[in-house]
Amino acid sequence: MIKNKTLLVLFRLVLGGLFVYAGVVKVLDPLDFAQNIRNYRLVGQSLSFIAAVVLPWLEILAGVALALGVWKRASALIISGLLVFFILLTLVTIARGLDVDCGCFGALSRKSGLGVILEDLGMLFMGLCLLFAPAKQI
Amino acid sequence: MPSGSSRRASKSTGRSTADDALSETPKIIRQALVIGALGVLLGAAVNFSLVKRFARGEFRETFFSQADNSSVRLITLQEAEDLWAAAEGVFFDARGAGPYGEGHVPRARNLPATESGQKLPADVMELPRERTLVVYCEGGDCQSSLLLAKRLHDEGFKDIRVMTGGWEEWKKAGLPEEKGDDKE
Repeated sequence: MIKNKTLLVLFRLVLGGLFVYAGVVKVLDPLDFAQNIRNYRLVGQSLSFIAAVVLPWLEILAGVALALGVWKRASALIISGLLVFFILLTLVTIARGLDVDCGCFGALSRKSGLGVILEDLGMLFMGLCLLFAPAKQI
Repeated sequence: MPSGSSRRASKSTGRSTADDALSETPKIIRQALVIGALGVLLGAAVNFSLVKRFARGEFRETFFSQADNSSVRLITLQEAEDLWAAAEGVFFDARGAGPYGEGHVPRARNLPATESGQKLPADVMELPRERTLVVYCEGGDCQSSLLLAKRLHDEGFKDIRVMTGGWEEWKKAGLPEEKGDDKE
């Protein structure tokens, strides 16, 4: 596990920043994001709506907390948990052969596929490094 | 082991990482739950008007908001057929190229709506904004026609009609069909 303080702080800023960005673009158009979730055809209309209302704010709060260094481990835990969920979701989507927009970064979104999983894995690596790093290092 | 002694142990022996994370687990989970609860509250507060509309029964069929897309109307197969027979309106098939090639409404253009951020073709952009546009997708709960309708609305088109029954209904009704790729 990485113990270099500078690197860990960088991880915190990058990962936190990415989550804030991802959250903000979704907050701007909740109905659009709800449709994105619905397109995965895993949950129904109501759950898609609830997720679309809550998830972006969870991303923003965890991202802000991580970047600012407040409740670092808790926010790293939330972010890592979300990333594990996104990776599983993308794998299931690929396995089912669905052609959906990942809905991850607003206008920068692309088809849900391997590329998305690789990005998520990269972010998950940062998240886990932060989650398990010595308290003073992050 | 109580957390205090664990912390002391980690200080004195230099043990850290996993031990630290482990002894702090309950605290971390508590904080994570607080962040989660705040997320729910913020989400509900900021989207209060949407949540109210949802509670009243809106968005149960589709997330399409008629109020935000005033130029879009949902139409039946009959209305679509009438428009098509009178050669009124430009038809757009919002499905992918594959299903489009296997069969589509004659004269319909293929305009898959899945790729976000992609510009609409220039000839579509040049159409007069008052022109009647009819969009459809597979049918059932397919959403790409609504997505396309929304994009056309955002581009300023004023008369967009979504044939909600989609290709399924058109085909089932035995209406004319055309095969092959979009040549334009």
